[in-house]
Amino acid sequence: MDKDCSMYIEHVESGKRKVTLSLTVNDRLVVRDVDPQMTLLHFLRDELKLFGTKEACGEGECGACTVIMNGKAVTSCIILAIEAEGAQITTVEGLAKDGKLSILQEEFVSQDALQCGFCTPGFLMSTRALLDSNADPSDEEIIETLSGNLCRCTGYIPILNAVKRTIERERKELGR
Amino acid sequence: MISRFQYFKPHNLSDAVQYLEKEDNSYVLAGGTDLMILLRRNLINAEHIVDIKAIPELSALEYSNSTGLTIGAGVVVNRLVDSEIVKTNYPALQQAAASLASFQLRNRATAVGNICNASPGADLPPSLLVYDALVNITGPHGDRQVPVDQFFTGVKRTVLQRGELVVSLQLPEPGEGDRSIYLRQTRLRGHDLATVGVASRIKPNGKVAIGICAVAPTPLRLFALEDKINERGLNKETIDWAGEEINAHIRPISDVRSSALYRLQMASVLLKRGLLNLIGEEE
Amino acid sequence: MEEKKYRSKYKHVGQPYDRKDAQEKVTGQAIYAYDLEFPGMLHARCLLSPYARARIVSIDTSAAKALPGVRAVLTGEDSDILVGLYMQDKRVLSKGETRYHGDVVAAVAAEDEETAEHAVSLIKVEYEPLVPVHDVDEALEGKTLVHEDINDLKHYVGVFFPQKDSNIASWNKSKKGDLETAFSESDLVVENEFSLPAVAHVPMETHVAIVQADPYSNKLKIWTSAQSPFAIRQIMADSFGISETDVEVHIPYVGGGFGGKAGIHLEPLATLLSKAAGGAPVKVRATREQEFNQLPTRAGMRGRIKTSVNNDGTITGMQATYDWDSGAYADYGVNVGKTAVYSGIGPYRVENASIDSKTIYTNKVFSTAYRGFGHLETHWTIERQIDILSQKLGIDPYEFRMKNLLEPGDKTMSGEVLTVSSGSPKDCLTAVVKEIGWTGRKSEEEREEEWKTGKVRGKGFAMLQKAPAMPANTATSVIMQMNGDGHVKMMIGAVDFGQGAITALAQIAAQELDIPIEHIEISAEIDTRANPYDWNTVASKLIFLGGNAVIKASHEMLRKMKDVAGQALRTDPENLLHANGEIYHRHDPTRRLTYKDVALGYMYPNGTGIGGPLIASGSSMADGLTNLHPETGQGNPAAVWTFGAHAVEIEVDVETGNVTVLKVASAFDIGQVINEKLVYGQICGGVLQGLGSAVLEGYKFNSDVQLMNPSFTDNKIPTMKDIPLEIVPIYIENPQHNGPYGARGVGEHPMISVPSAIGNAVYDALGINFHVLPLSPEALVLGIQSGKKSILCTDVDCLPGLH
Ligand code: FES
Ligand code: FES
Repeated sequence: MDKDCSMYIEHVESGKRKVTLSLTVNDRLVVRDVDPQMTLLHFLRDELKLFGTKEACGEGECGACTVIMNGKAVTSCIILAIEAEGAQITTVEGLAKDGKLSILQEEFVSQDALQCGFCTPGFLMSTRALLDSNADPSDEEIIETLSGNLCRCTGYIPILNAVKRTIERERKELGR
Repeated sequence: MISRFQYFKPHNLSDAVQYLEKEDNSYVLAGGTDLMILLRRNLINAEHIVDIKAIPELSALEYSNSTGLTIGAGVVVNRLVDSEIVKTNYPALQQAAASLASFQLRNRATAVGNICNASPGADLPPSLLVYDALVNITGPHGDRQVPVDQFFTGVKRTVLQRGELVVSLQLPEPGEGDRSIYLRQTRLRGHDLATVGVASRIKPNGKVAIGICAVAPTPLRLFALEDKINERGLNKETIDWAGEEINAHIRPISDVRSSALYRLQMASVLLKRGLLNLIGEEE
Repeated sequence: MEEKKYRSKYKHVGQPYDRKDAQEKVTGQAIYAYDLEFPGMLHARCLLSPYARARIVSIDTSAAKALPGVRAVLTGEDSDILVGLYMQDKRVLSKGETRYHGDVVAAVAAEDEETAEHAVSLIKVEYEPLVPVHDVDEALEGKTLVHEDINDLKHYVGVFFPQKDSNIASWNKSKKGDLETAFSESDLVVENEFSLPAVAHVPMETHVAIVQADPYSNKLKIWTSAQSPFAIRQIMADSFGISETDVEVHIPYVGGGFGGKAGIHLEPLATLLSKAAGGAPVKVRATREQEFNQLPTRAGMRGRIKTSVNNDGTITGMQATYDWDSGAYADYGVNVGKTAVYSGIGPYRVENASIDSKTIYTNKVFSTAYRGFGHLETHWTIERQIDILSQKLGIDPYEFRMKNLLEPGDKTMSGEVLTVSSGSPKDCLTAVVKEIGWTGRKSEEEREEEWKTGKVRGKGFAMLQKAPAMPANTATSVIMQMNGDGHVKMMIGAVDFGQGAITALAQIAAQELDIPIEHIEISAEIDTRANPYDWNTVASKLIFLGGNAVIKASHEMLRKMKDVAGQALRTDPENLLHANGEIYHRHDPTRRLTYKDVALGYMYPNGTGIGGPLIASGSSMADGLTNLHPETGQGNPAAVWTFGAHAVEIEVDVETGNVTVLKVASAFDIGQVINEKLVYGQICGGVLQGLGSAVLEGYKFNSDVQLMNPSFTDNKIPTMKDIPLEIVPIYIENPQHNGPYGARGVGEHPMISVPSAIGNAVYDALGINFHVLPLSPEALVLGIQSGKKSILCTDVDCLPGLH
């Protein structure tokens, strides 16, 4: 998927600061010219206007900016947009399908796994990536995976409850 | 971020090396988990970023009986965590990898990046040190191999010269009966830099190896202490003694994370606990 | 904690409804000030003082101004505007002298953040570093004044008491009885000192403000991440010399507040920048680092407490001195200091007592309200002292507390008399002590035995109390309008930054009007042009005052509906009842109308209309509150007290100092549960924040008073790995006579006293009394190694025995 390196050099040598980037975001192919120093987070927010992904530290410490990139949960604030060339990205906006909340989202609602909601998109994406790679994680695995996401409101227990209920329901309803 | 840089993504090592040698203020980008923070805090002024993730040989994580484990410069930490081979053959390394930063960061951070950043408190070096890891470096003047205990030259400083690039880490095959463990102390259970981290290993010949971080300007292999322990013979008494003795071999500082005094105490506790665990005598 | 045991006797009140804002928040649709963009919007960056205290010798902004894309560059020379909630002591931009590391020396507005950041790096400032005021002791000496002009600072007279030529922003006092006699005639007098560092609120959304200053009028349009739209409106009007009506404040979703977004913060700077940039909207967004070192924090505090008791366990006298290290500015800090004089002896019956509470200026990061508003701090002092007293008396700490806890008929510190409807501290304590399986303190022998295993367990508990800290004239209001479909639109002026207020208030409205909760339309977004007044979203007052306002508005709505329905049904409205969204005749239920029929006015079959769109309102004001007497502190400061207690069981690794919290039981007399799910969330979240303060968090300053940990790298908050193994919430429901459905607020309370309970459990485990927070692994180990039985400071330098 990687573009030929010479292309980047050409861009720069021809005096253009911007590089062309194409990737798939929430199943949609997008192509944009971006500054090399733009982060993936800013790309999603400023270029694509997907405001669900939040910045709460900008330094990889809090997980608020977590998105799924090629199947892995990553903190988009410390990834350059150009590193995502050719990647498949899912953001919180890509979770609900066909106008219906996903089970994961429903359980966050019903277990009250959020208060101010600012950390919520990050938690949802970390959880989604986990459950996509392991449909039946242990409590320890859930906690290990989600402890990179900070929440100051909920005390985490309702979040943990929501994740566990999601696992149960996905097993029953989706046969995972 | 004030830096305005050009981005270069080479597909082979020689292009990377050439570029790095040619251009001033060029930086290697692998996982970016350290580099991006330096950029964001404007602690460096980068004019060129060389992304090495498209160089095929750097993504290798391989094990063979003859060469042991090879960790390419593009291998992210979570690959070490998930690798059965690493878990079976280099448990301390697997444990150190699993304790490093947060899950998301481990999906990006590379093992090689962890040593190139040369933070005194980096989690992987103690384990790499006890396994006598070798650092394979390539550069404008050819390839060279540096034992990891000679790789660090100071806080955030390494032997790497302009244009040089770490290609991989190589860990010799451990052999039958090899045991190891990595223990660390942190301020909370959640992700944190190590206050102290200690890797302990008992080799098949019964000799111990000890690596430690956050107690000196660089991660340390405590050769002198190992010799003394090996002389005495490894048993409960020796371990108790070593718990005291270790404090004569390290020079921790006090900083925002911990006092030197607590670091001394924790080095002692973690060493004792590690060795006791390895001889099957957990406290 | 999967199963929810709570059962309510009401149809809507007490039901565990989903929060109304949840769906928008799980789909990424919830918009915060951080997300907002406007045409022509500029982005700002600030240059902060690199010194805690310095004289600004010169500033050269020419290179910054010349950078393409820069639209405004401001320094202290450009504006003398002062702001402040209770004391007008803070310049928007420093001039002459900087007072802490976060003081804004210059600010830039540019077309994008990167350009603004670049421009800031081009500003050259020459400073003359001055010796800072490091701590409260130095400040009290008064050799250096943080505010040379303290005598002239405009402040809220009669409530706060700045001291002439000093660093004391306010000295509040209370006293009652005859303390001297109590001290001289009691069997035992014990004096102790306790302290705790400044701690950050850490809302996940940092402070953000966008302001557009209309160049053609006085009008200011403000969009901000804040808790107190109406306070901002009033202070902005005061500071800028315009009318309140000229200021419109919009609050979208707020990503956490915890008190840190009460009051006014980045709005004045954004205003000045907007004016300088010709009226373009300017967004000022704090980075995480600025959130730590520029925006306010919870004050550090030192409490000194002296208590007399008789051998039978009766507390006879209590003298407390609280010194608050409020940093460079007073902000909410003076009000925090004030609450200590009426709450600062805890929920105990003490006939003879005095409290001196001083909010003190130093050159640190300034302080403001933080969840619990001074109570976590004062309870750290009181509840540890009570435990130590019980050790000295050889009385069980449960018995000791039970003997002295407030009961109906007793007086609080400020002289209020408790009644049966005030809630019961004793019920709370008994419940948690039972839940934790308390059987008395560990003996020395038991402790030694356990010590050999390397892990020692301990149990501890602590009381808590809190009343909303609010001015005597605190008020809130609600407007209701019936939509054409019979649903009800409700507007409040208070902000729901995650505590669930809009959901709880909607439940009260649904209950009163007897319609489904889905039929209540209420938004978390506030616009001061449309939403009715609210004093301030702080102090857990919303359920109490807001709930009462909703009830009043509902009653008015029902009355108006019945007036119209009475005409339509040709009967006296007195004969009408309502249920399930319908109005019907009490003797002939077939004569009925739906709410929808009268919502916009009733129409007869021939087309004639009567009534008209239904609108109702309700206001509620704290009833009978008074200012406190300046010398004795007597008066009525508290509309409603909420009492509670925590009990914990912990395990300490004696070699590493790691603490595992095995169980936390928390009981609150909340009168009536409005929504169990929301309360449970408040408890889990509050307990974990309390735990952060107990074992982990705190600002660290170096000898130059520079903040050493202004990032998540070193200013940690608990993660999912740090939660207690078990949290058991216990709801006590002794109804409050004047509360909505008997309810009391509980938003802040779960955080209070968690550190005290942990500290008491640490004593039970280790036999060591810690007098300082946090009880970090390092602190515990150094404490153990020092061999001392009481630890007043855990810096290595204070523990000379260790070297
Ligand atoms: S914003 Fe990316 S990890 Fe905090
Ligand atoms: S819900 Fe507010 S930070 Fe998690």
